[in-house]
Amino acid sequence: MFVAPHIEWAALTPVLILLGAAVIGVLVEAFVPRASRRLVQLALSALAVAGALVAVTWRWTVVQSSGPRELVAGALREDGPALLAQAVLLVLSLLALLVIADRSRGEDGFAPTAAAVPGSEYEDQARRAGLAQTEVFPLTMFAVTGMLVFPAAADLLTMFIALEVLSLPLYLLAGLARYRRLLSQEASLKYFLLGAFSSAFFLMGLALLYGYAGSVRLDELAVAVPAMAGMDGLLLAGSALVIVGLLFKVGAVPFHAWTPDVYQGAPTSVTGFMAACTKVAAFAALLRFVYVVTPGLTWDLAPFLWTVAILTMVVGTVLAIVQTDMKRTLAYSSVAHAGFLLLGVIALDERGIGGVIFYLLAYGLATVGSFGLVSLVRTKDADGNVTSEAGHLSEWAGLGRRSPVLAVSFALFLLSFAGIPLTAGFTGKFAVFSAAVAGGAWPLVVVAVLASAAAAFFYVRIIVLMFFTEPPVAEDGSSTTVVRTEGLTAVAVVVCAVGTVLLGVVPSAILAITAQASKFLL
Amino acid sequence: MSLVNYLVLAGILFAIGSAAVLVRRNSIVAFMGVELMLNAANLTLVTFARMHGDLSGQVIAFFVMVVAAAEVVIGLAIIVSIFRTRGSASLDDASLLKS
Amino acid sequence: MTGLTISAGEGVLFWILAPLMVLGALSLLFARRTVHIAVSIAGVMVGLAVMYIANEATFLGVAQVVVYTGAVMMLFVFVIMLVGVDSTESLTETLRGQRWLAALSALGLAILLGAVVTRAVLPEPVGLAAANADSNPVAVARLVFSDFVFAFELTGALLITAAVGALSLTHRVRLGIKVDQRTLAEAKLKRYGAGGDATLVVNRPGPGVYARHNSADMPAVDAAGNPVEESITTVLRVRGQERELPSAEELADAGHPYGSPAVEAPTGTQAKEIDA
Repeated sequence: MFVAPHIEWAALTPVLILLGAAVIGVLVEAFVPRASRRLVQLALSALAVAGALVAVTWRWTVVQSSGPRELVAGALREDGPALLAQAVLLVLSLLALLVIADRSRGEDGFAPTAAAVPGSEYEDQARRAGLAQTEVFPLTMFAVTGMLVFPAAADLLTMFIALEVLSLPLYLLAGLARYRRLLSQEASLKYFLLGAFSSAFFLMGLALLYGYAGSVRLDELAVAVPAMAGMDGLLLAGSALVIVGLLFKVGAVPFHAWTPDVYQGAPTSVTGFMAACTKVAAFAALLRFVYVVTPGLTWDLAPFLWTVAILTMVVGTVLAIVQTDMKRTLAYSSVAHAGFLLLGVIALDERGIGGVIFYLLAYGLATVGSFGLVSLVRTKDADGNVTSEAGHLSEWAGLGRRSPVLAVSFALFLLSFAGIPLTAGFTGKFAVFSAAVAGGAWPLVVVAVLASAAAAFFYVRIIVLMFFTEPPVAEDGSSTTVVRTEGLTAVAVVVCAVGTVLLGVVPSAILAITAQASKFLL
Repeated sequence: MSLVNYLVLAGILFAIGSAAVLVRRNSIVAFMGVELMLNAANLTLVTFARMHGDLSGQVIAFFVMVVAAAEVVIGLAIIVSIFRTRGSASLDDASLLKS
Repeated sequence: MTGLTISAGEGVLFWILAPLMVLGALSLLFARRTVHIAVSIAGVMVGLAVMYIANEATFLGVAQVVVYTGAVMMLFVFVIMLVGVDSTESLTETLRGQRWLAALSALGLAILLGAVVTRAVLPEPVGLAAANADSNPVAVARLVFSDFVFAFELTGALLITAAVGALSLTHRVRLGIKVDQRTLAEAKLKRYGAGGDATLVVNRPGPGVYARHNSADMPAVDAAGNPVEESITTVLRVRGQERELPSAEELADAGHPYGSPAVEAPTGTQAKEIDA
């Protein structure tokens, strides 16, 4: 007969706070007058993310004292890695939210109204009337909710639904850029089609695993892995398809085709959010799946995972070197970082979990910060109108002389991406690579070190470009300028920069915390 | 007749759907390919549910339907807004992004 | 637990439906018109619904018809109508060899999935008679609200996102003044007073209706005997499906110039003689 499930409300507070904020945000759209809408939305979202962060910290102390457990009839797990990934996610979301909300001269980075046809008279009217697409805030909150559930999901169905909850708002947000609307809409369509395609693969994997074990709960799958003889085909194909679906979200190489286009087309603030936070969520889920379900399959899955990791590192690095657009360069660099992170997944070593989460924090801070800065560097045409972002690398030449603070912080983020000592990137790489060596994946580490060295080349090239090259003189009289904003981006960038330095110089405190989160609850 | 027949049919439908996504340039057709793939996965789930004598496969398929419905709304809204801008729903027309 | 016996009838059903479904699905790859594809896929969805019911999933079978055939595929058809029902797609390849590669990988996927399920040593089918003892919907509902209650609540977020997203992509706030019927009429009269065409104030002519042609694809004729193009609906004109007005000579030969009845109005048996 029907037994009502026991729901652990206290443990669900972080998710409930965010979901509540998202729903209230939708109501705000309906009932709050337009003039004050943005402020209300911003305050609501920022408070919700901060509140969820506090709640996650509280749950962390509870888990430390009374141990991990399963929630809501086994749909979720409250354990160290999940809470740690959620905390990292919320910190990065809060910073990204500041960049998303920032405005320069009363205009944010989003189309005044998404329903207007680009270049139409109506769009012009909307811009003059000062409309703003404030639905961005509730959509972001929905995405963060999905990301929060994703690392904690303890069965594949919850994982699948969380994947969709985090993806659908991102598909929409990618199409809302204020300038270059066509590019943005196309990015949205591409992201959507390829995202739906990959979630179909995830789902087929889920179905095959269900056929194998008669359950989609990760713990029951883990128990069933060694037990069933003669059905390995189902298990292997199912696991591979699920991993493919997750690798797509991560942007690993054969499944990376969307990354450069979407990163370039999406509004820059959203790119920063998506690049940092989606990676955290997807890697945390990938870690859980690989560490809980597939340890028994190491030998069967290794060729596949090793190939993907090597391809991701090499292709990401090589293609980043040949790009001429700043956002595309950063996109390919993020692909290469996905490859480095995969080492920690493949390692199957306890240190790998904490290492990957630390790396994600370091990478996320640098990503949110650098995309925040990219959103400030704009093209100014001959008439003095400030328009879209200065995408081409050559437009960044000589920026170090005119805006030294911006250029220095951008250089800092690039050095962190490159993994230069005394930055967070170095500590992260060290943590992940040493876990991979401990897990016996040293050939991969050799490739990774070589790729890092090659990648350092193009990061340094950008730094040289900013500090030691004369600014170009454009024929049409356009130039590059750094816009003034309300200052939210500046706050986010400063926090990111300070974090990057601190995690590089005194990483021990955070490393000690990540080291405690080295075991998944089955 | 064995239940495996259903699984093979699901595999064929899944492959046809994925081929449509890869081959067709019209975004609406490509999207229908994705829908077919989701349905193939559902057929697999329902068949395995019967094989294991366990209803959770059916429940999962039910959730997949809900998810697919939400996805369709978003996808078609994106396609319509692109069509209004460009007068075409093709993935190739005026491809601004380098591939 | 007792094993499951599968009736011969189910086998017959499967072997009738499965080829039809595969055929319908293949339209995704080979049909040119989007509407044809949408209707074929809707057919595949119905086939799947029947198979769900055969697989003891009554509730899902009904939900499949309601959700997929009734809502999702019809939404597709609506959008196809919106985008232009005649939009065919050129099947020429943009990237050389991409089609073969795609076909090959799809074939590989089909063989892989087929091999996986046929070679796996699957357990003896149990059947759902026991699980469905209290009827299938009741049993499914129990699971939805117990084991899967969190997933169920989470889908709420999905549906809200879908509604908000669709609305923000398509809903336009009115920015100018609302144009009502009165202002529209006054503006028209003003333009007419300023020397505009008389068609501004009277109804536009409908398509032509003559003794021999009374379909909507014939243009009306103005007083001077010239066709009025805008009397035909835009859809027909865009598709190039409107018909030419017969020339004055042709009509004179047939014995009925515009605006006048035939010299001998055709009645009954006489019609044949005139046509001849």
